Amino acid sequence: MKFRDFVCFEATITELQASDRDGVIVELVSSLDKTGRLGKGKCEEIIREVIKREKEASTGLGRGVAVPHVKHKAVKDVIAAIGLSSAGINFFALDKQPVFSVILLISPADEPDKHLQAMESVFKHLQQERFRKFLRQCRTTKHVEDLLIEADEDPSL
Amino acid sequence: MQADEDTLENVVYEAELEIKNAEGLHMRPAMQFVDIANRFDSEINVSNGDTDVDGKSIMNISMLAATCGTKLKIRAKGPDAQEAIKALRELVEEKHFNEPTPKR
Amino acid sequence: MEIKKGIAVSPGISIAKSLIIDSEDYRIPRRPIKPSQRMTETQRARNAFKDAIAELTQLESAQDQTKGGKIKDIFAVHLRFLHDRSLRKKVTDFIHSDMVTAEYAVSTVLREIASHFAKVKDAYISERAADIYDIERRLLRQLLGKKRQNLGHLTREVVVVARELSPTQTAGFDRKFVKGIASDAGGRTSHAAIVARSLGIPAVVALEDLTEYISVGDTVIVDGNRGIVIVNPDQQTIRQYEEYSKEFTDLGHRLDAIRQKPAVTRDGIEITLLGNIEFPNEAEVVLEKGGAGIGLYRTEFLYLNTDREPTEQDHYEAYAKTVRVFADRPVVIRTLDLGADKYTQSRRLAPEPNPFLGLRSIRFCLQNLTMFKKQLRAILRVSVLGKVKIMFPLITNRQELMQAKMILRDVMEDLNDESIPYNRDIPIGIMIETPSAALTAHSLAMDVDFFSIGTNDLTQYTLAVDRGNELVSMLYSTVDPAVLRLIRNVIQDAHKAQIDLSVCGEMASEPEYIMLLMGLGVRTISIASPMIPEIKQIIRSVTMEYCNNVARKVLGMDSERQISAYLRNAARKILPEAF
Repeated sequence: MKFRDFVCFEATITELQASDRDGVIVELVSSLDKTGRLGKGKCEEIIREVIKREKEASTGLGRGVAVPHVKHKAVKDVIAAIGLSSAGINFFALDKQPVFSVILLISPADEPDKHLQAMESVFKHLQQERFRKFLRQCRTTKHVEDLLIEADEDPSL
Repeated sequence: MQADEDTLENVVYEAELEIKNAEGLHMRPAMQFVDIANRFDSEINVSNGDTDVDGKSIMNISMLAATCGTKLKIRAKGPDAQEAIKALRELVEEKHFNEPTPKR
Repeated sequence: MEIKKGIAVSPGISIAKSLIIDSEDYRIPRRPIKPSQRMTETQRARNAFKDAIAELTQLESAQDQTKGGKIKDIFAVHLRFLHDRSLRKKVTDFIHSDMVTAEYAVSTVLREIASHFAKVKDAYISERAADIYDIERRLLRQLLGKKRQNLGHLTREVVVVARELSPTQTAGFDRKFVKGIASDAGGRTSHAAIVARSLGIPAVVALEDLTEYISVGDTVIVDGNRGIVIVNPDQQTIRQYEEYSKEFTDLGHRLDAIRQKPAVTRDGIEITLLGNIEFPNEAEVVLEKGGAGIGLYRTEFLYLNTDREPTEQDHYEAYAKTVRVFADRPVVIRTLDLGADKYTQSRRLAPEPNPFLGLRSIRFCLQNLTMFKKQLRAILRVSVLGKVKIMFPLITNRQELMQAKMILRDVMEDLNDESIPYNRDIPIGIMIETPSAALTAHSLAMDVDFFSIGTNDLTQYTLAVDRGNELVSMLYSTVDPAVLRLIRNVIQDAHKAQIDLSVCGEMASEPEYIMLLMGLGVRTISIASPMIPEIKQIIRSVTMEYCNNVARKVLGMDSERQISAYLRNAARKILPEAF
């Protein structure tokens, strides 16, 4: 699966306002909600689920990235939103380092394979130091979109 | 590309093609080559200087084990010889088998 | 009487009648045909090609592009070969010129082509020989129907003789009847060797041309101690070997007698002795030899044989079979460690320049999550049947570990949604087999329940030596001071973090090294089952104090030669008869 297949570029937040983990989750889910992709009135519920899951086990992978995710009936396809923070956020990653890039994913409840395909893409690119660096350096939503589209075509990114 | 008139029907066309993709003529490119060669009626011969093989045979082509930079002589004989050479050149030198070329 | 020399890869003596199998069980006799039959045989050959093409075309289109893409590619290659007119012509010409049956022609022509491929210097092309054999098999199946020599239905004791043995064939071996293995090809780490060792069957490989000297019904002696195979031995030789064999069996029995005894040092420290296995049927052997559980269950065999990827149920059944044998004793299942070996590389269409350092093992799994998930689901489902632990191989950094754990959690959630029971507290561990993991063990220890040190790979990566390469294999040594330092590091980090630690590489099964490991703090080891009695014997013969001294001395040395010599002496003092 390519980034363009599931990342909602309009929902990108290049400078997250919240300075704490839960606040960031609220911000990103709300951003997705504004694009109308979450169905009516599901926003609060989804926020609660993501935070609950995050509390059970941190999705901070280390090296400044986190991938909070949840499965929910409200969506029919995987959607994701990218959020960047120049100040860094405490995601309780066990490497104890702050998180600068967050990719939040919401996957359909009964299509586990789609979720896995999206995760595969996310893992593959987040492993690359260049990709993480470039992502952090993005200043506008267009930068983020261009970077992700380029990464889709270039496996070394 | 050169053309010799063998007989009125059997025109012979030849060309020298260089393998441009980084990994050379391994299985996937060999398959593409053979697929294209088999579309034409003409006889197609491929030579790497040492061996001369039937260009329509996957067995023969894969044995060539041609690496990046190798120059192969392609010889087509038959009514559609010219088109055959053209198609093969496009595959080998322009599209380089839809694979990456070596990074500089 | 013919005496052939090869490489001894599994100890013991066996004297039995030979059972010769061709790669994939076909033995094609050369039966001449009459000139008038040539047309019929040629037509049979043509039909075989046609039917094989039809079969493959169907198989290929049935493969989903996203999931079975690689397999689809392989089928595409095979189809091209089957369509290749020069191949078909070679076969039909041979029928005509030599007046032989269609199957003999197919077999001869294809094997000759395969050997041409195998000789090409480009390793990538030479691997294609495996594809040619596959095509040969497919054509022969058409010609011969499903009549195959079934290794699962033996009724008498035999020594299996073959050019080379595939994982599928070795998986079917019944120890009751297969008493020895001899093959033309292979090395210390080939499948025949690994399986022979774990089943406790004598084996000699790399005999080069044994299959040419042997006929059906020949008696064969396999001397797995000296690496010799004798075809049609004379009476005197048979008598000598029967004596020799008896001595060896007696020693084996003496060691087996300690099976029931605990693995405890003379000063009362208990060592947990577990077994390494590859196939479910080896589990019983571990129990028989006195192992207290499985410390390493290699799961690659599920992938190494077939045209299709194993289903979740395939995984489940294999694991369940093993776990049931062990009931309440631990079974550590390692997730897929495939990648740098012949079988997966030959399935690639585009070669990896450095597969050993490439997309293998856990990295491969994290890039193939749908496949990985099947295995994880099966392991979780099986975790309710016993004391199952899950282990990830080749973890090099924390991020990889977090990704793997994250996927495991996702799979757990799926199972929750489906109300399928599993052990929520399943212990999660990793193999420490790279320098990076060894050097950051303190940090990795915080996120896992146990470590298992894979000394084989750790040594290779640390010393940058491929132990399978005869040109440099003499540089490989698990007691190289650099490797020992890393091992000690890992043991200390594990103790500090209070997590379990075991050693599962070959180092733990070497009598000379076991005392050193114990002295360094190792209390759990996992080894190939035939070595369990001998290692237990050593454990019962030493004191931990002695081991601690040995370790202390060794840590003060800085030359591998010095260390080896010292350890050999130390071991000789304890078990003079083993040396």
